[in-house]
Amino acid sequence: MSRAVVLEKIRRACAASATAGLPDELPEFPSYEDAASKFRDELEATGGVFFDARSSDELPEILSQILERTGTTEFYWESEEVFQKSAIPYRLRDPEAFSRPHLVFSYHFKGKVEFPLVLNFKPYDRATLAAVPVSVSRAPYGIAETGTIVHSVTPGTGRLLSVLPEAHVVLLSEKNLLMNSVEFLDRTQLGELGSALTLVTGPSRTADIEKTLVLGVHGPRQWYVVLTS
Amino acid sequence: MIRIRLGAASALDNPQLQKNMSAVIRTALHSRDNSVAEVANWETLRQYAHDVKEHTLARLDSYLKQLEKRVVEQGGKVVWVENGEEALSFITRLAHEKNMTKVVKSKTMLGEEIHLNKGLEAAHIEPVETDLGEYIIQLAKETPFHIIAPALHKSRQEVSDLFTEKVNMPPTDDVQQITATARRILRAHFLTARLGITGVNFGVAATGTLVVVENEGNARLSASVPEVHIALMGIEKVIPRAADLSVFLKLLTRSATGQKITSYVNFINGPRRPEELDGPAEFYLVLIDNGRSKILADSFLRQTLACIRCGACLNVCPVYQRIGGHAYGSTYPGPIGAILTPQLLSEEEAPEHPYASSLCGACYETCPVKIEIPHILLKLRERVQRKKNDKASHIPLEKWSMQIWAWGMSSSRRFAWFARLMRAAQGWFLKEKGSRIELPVLNGWTRHRDLPTIPKKSFREVFKPEEKGN
Repeated sequence: MSRAVVLEKIRRACAASATAGLPDELPEFPSYEDAASKFRDELEATGGVFFDARSSDELPEILSQILERTGTTEFYWESEEVFQKSAIPYRLRDPEAFSRPHLVFSYHFKGKVEFPLVLNFKPYDRATLAAVPVSVSRAPYGIAETGTIVHSVTPGTGRLLSVLPEAHVVLLSEKNLLMNSVEFLDRTQLGELGSALTLVTGPSRTADIEKTLVLGVHGPRQWYVVLTS
Repeated sequence: MIRIRLGAASALDNPQLQKNMSAVIRTALHSRDNSVAEVANWETLRQYAHDVKEHTLARLDSYLKQLEKRVVEQGGKVVWVENGEEALSFITRLAHEKNMTKVVKSKTMLGEEIHLNKGLEAAHIEPVETDLGEYIIQLAKETPFHIIAPALHKSRQEVSDLFTEKVNMPPTDDVQQITATARRILRAHFLTARLGITGVNFGVAATGTLVVVENEGNARLSASVPEVHIALMGIEKVIPRAADLSVFLKLLTRSATGQKITSYVNFINGPRRPEELDGPAEFYLVLIDNGRSKILADSFLRQTLACIRCGACLNVCPVYQRIGGHAYGSTYPGPIGAILTPQLLSEEEAPEHPYASSLCGACYETCPVKIEIPHILLKLRERVQRKKNDKASHIPLEKWSMQIWAWGMSSSRRFAWFARLMRAAQGWFLKEKGSRIELPVLNGWTRHRDLPTIPKKSFREVFKPEEKGN
């Protein structure tokens, strides 16, 4: 439409400018001796809940606790990768569930999680997504400075599973915990991790009325991060 | 022509508004100051961001072309528009072609600037504001009061009344309950809207990434649920490299709300890809000029475009603190609005904006990208004055009085003579005996300022005999 006109205006406006170069050295960003506890402190400050599963086989117990807090019996898992990379034993009711765009979920009688997980599936559509109580994903990275996790859309996953539910659980491996956002952007070519990538820090929040903090205005109200080894 | 004086007077006379504003602004200032104090190299970060913006604005055409190339490579479409009308006609045409009758919107000041909602409504497309503050403003049929907190001026009681009237909520003073009501209503809109519109905080030229910073998750939903996502971006929002984001994000969120980072920082790289399960099938980046290239042409005023819309200069401004956002009568209020408005529109349309400042310099001190707002204000005042001087009918009263003043002040004899004259004449101007002076011809000045009465003897007259005595 007006591409040529706008560009020409900009070109003329900039034409006579002497340009200083881009600064090539980034200001210093902090590092931490104990990145995990910095991450925990920052996450908790935003209203998130931290679980440490690095040194034990407590994952089923932690997941049971989360179910109890959310008052539900089902976890909706983002992808097969969550199980594989987090070494969670699982069994498929339908072996094809992962090869099709399905929502995969585990049901836990009386909120007691036991491995191996037995997985069921439902169609990946808006109506089903909207009714998901708790979803689980695995973060490619965490950022200690701000208690942030990185959520990316990878092949076979979508944008909505981690945003629509009231509660979301993120599994993060300690080896993927970075000091600050500089390290993250240094390691990641934006755009190669899918069409949508989000830095998420704690629950959805607003302070639009009298600067009073309210959690869960649009996204998850409850935000859990489980640190694994 | 926008008249700030009228809006300012009515804001000052509104005790409820003054009450609502003062507590909230105080909280905002505290959060920002505490958060900035934690960062030892804050000044280094500011300078870095300033330098990146200065460099980028001077080579804006090449960075925009780079951004366009990357967005297109990722399957997005880029639309360049000269002004708001062109942007609107693109959006409404697209919506009509696809039979879309509703838009879920996240907060965009650029959308306000081009009067997006009005344009959509005129084309029979329902705009739904999904940011809680913007939703409140939309229900109240107002404009945002603040760049960051659009409904800052409303008390919880006023919001509750509004929700009761418009969406049948039972009255409450519980902010949680008000928010839950909004969530329920807006979630239903999200699940049924086919078009989503967001703004853009940063466009990364090197990677074609559009960055949207938010706390609620509504921008994430607006960009993810509908079939089509349109991102509106001012041409000045491009930055060269992804690495620069670390600095800009830190400066932006701490300045805006005192947060170390917001709940969500969304990086959008085009539409849904074949192997992804959801996301918009089409992604459009609308690059909007709307007067920006005109600002770019002046190498000093250009820095106005470095603004990252954090809103910190509003909170810290003694004028904004008293008159609030609506008094400015423009999309952008506060110090940044005072310099941006006359440049985006024209000096004739916003002649009072450059004067809506005490030139105290607090805005410059707080600005995370070091925009020299006070200097720009002076430059714009000069422009306004030059325009006035050029008019044939103009009587340069101010100029003459300054010349007389300078003549009187440059000689001690003339100064003493003036003082004696004033002393003799002041009786006629005294408001009450022995209180203050009101000069009828200068009452625009003296109505709000006290000129002390002139004592019977000047300092020199008192001092002289003492000196002799010693």
